[in-house]
Amino acid sequence: MKETPLEKSLYRNFLPGILTKDGFIGEDKRHIHDIIEEDIRELERLGISEVELAKKLQELIDFGKKNLEEDVRYEHFIINVRWSRGMLPCPFGEPPLHYKIYAKITNTKLDKTIVVTQLGIHLMEKHVFFYGKGSKYRLEPVFLYDFLFR
Amino acid sequence: MVSKIIITVLSVSGITGFLALILVIAEKIFADYGVCKVNINGEEDIEVDGGKSLLFALKEKKIFIPSACGGRGTCGYCKVRVIDGAGPLLPTEEPMLSKDEMKNNMRLACQVKVKKDIQIQIPEELFNIKEYKTNLALLKDLTYDIKLLHLELIEPKEINFKAGQYVQLETKPYGDIKETVMRAYSICSPSYEKNYIELMIRRVPDGICTTWVHDFLKEGEVLNIIGPMGEFYLREGESDIYLIAGGSGMAPIVSILYHILHEKIERNVLFFFGARTTKDLFYLDVMEYFEQNIPNFKFIPALSAATNKDKWEGEKGRITDVINKYIKDRDNSQAQGYLCGSPGMVKACINVLNSNNITNDRIFYDPFA
Repeated sequence: MKETPLEKSLYRNFLPGILTKDGFIGEDKRHIHDIIEEDIRELERLGISEVELAKKLQELIDFGKKNLEEDVRYEHFIINVRWSRGMLPCPFGEPPLHYKIYAKITNTKLDKTIVVTQLGIHLMEKHVFFYGKGSKYRLEPVFLYDFLFR
Repeated sequence: MVSKIIITVLSVSGITGFLALILVIAEKIFADYGVCKVNINGEEDIEVDGGKSLLFALKEKKIFIPSACGGRGTCGYCKVRVIDGAGPLLPTEEPMLSKDEMKNNMRLACQVKVKKDIQIQIPEELFNIKEYKTNLALLKDLTYDIKLLHLELIEPKEINFKAGQYVQLETKPYGDIKETVMRAYSICSPSYEKNYIELMIRRVPDGICTTWVHDFLKEGEVLNIIGPMGEFYLREGESDIYLIAGGSGMAPIVSILYHILHEKIERNVLFFFGARTTKDLFYLDVMEYFEQNIPNFKFIPALSAATNKDKWEGEKGRITDVINKYIKDRDNSQAQGYLCGSPGMVKACINVLNSNNITNDRIFYDPFA
């Protein structure tokens, strides 16, 4: 797959220790374009858009932000948001900078917990990037769909 | 047959190698920009090796432009005004600059390459920013997730900073992390102590620098810092001072309190400190010392999630409610607010200050908060 020089320089941003400690691609050996394309196909199969998933996650985080670092119940979710000092840039090089917001969300019906960041929501909504496989922030679209809407 | 294959492979390799050599030579010849002059503020001319980014060219001449990402073009902090010689705006800069900034010739120093003589404008205070080699003389836990770093200056041996300012700490490679990063931390030690600084660093989930500090750093290590930086310091006046912090946001406030004590400032000072439980409280002995020695100072810690186990008799509830309770009946027409903590807390507390007649021109906080 051909890359522009800008894309090549941006690729470094996804590696561990450049923007975040663990980077964005985990153990995934696929090209970022391929990761995105496969997830787009999965979303199409599920009949849901990345924007709908991101919007629901944002709704949960926004609720959790009202009581930082406390467990907050919203619908059948328990949300705990931590908001640290500092900002993180998007690895795709797109503004703006993102707050270091880190949320643990538990679906009490499924008894499952996910970890999501403000930057992660941006990557999902604007770049259809759900992180690479093996990353602790990877959210499989099929799992996330069940988690948020079942 | 075999010899033909070998000859073909060798020929192709030879031609490829020759072309690569030509490219390297061409780059050396045509991309050699020689020595270029950087004119600063229409006064000083400094000579730098052409071809480097403006950020690194200035850094080599010990002029430090604040940057949080180490020159990767991702933080957008290293903005300087380039009057002449920078070439056209690059696609990597555009996302980080507003329309007004573009109109005013602001550029990202990390993206602008010095290829010819260049004229720039930077604030005078940047000339006070230096690189310091330090010895980590003490590394201790303040809480389960906040550490105190005591850094003795090795070279230069003295630092001049205003209480409330910050430095950038340079990490070292560790674990799978092969590169260094710079991160900003407020100084918590007194500004009249010139031979050392102290920092408070709270662990951030998956933070590159805070993981290094909490899990890898050892006493006795030599660390690099760059500073001082920032516009967060005590403004003059006679009015009441409201200090507000949470977690490691206490750092610059402590430095400001040492300043108030040292300068014998007699303004009314209230320090609101938000925490969840008693496990998140620290420096209580230092606060007691300030209460005994600063005439009009009161420390007001508030716990948002205190349980019976905490046996807490102080203020309980959200810090915003506690602030409002204490300041709502005071004359706030000249009062000043100084905030440091998570952006969420800072935003919420600014709203409380605003609703109590403290306008934004009298509210101060670090932009990296």
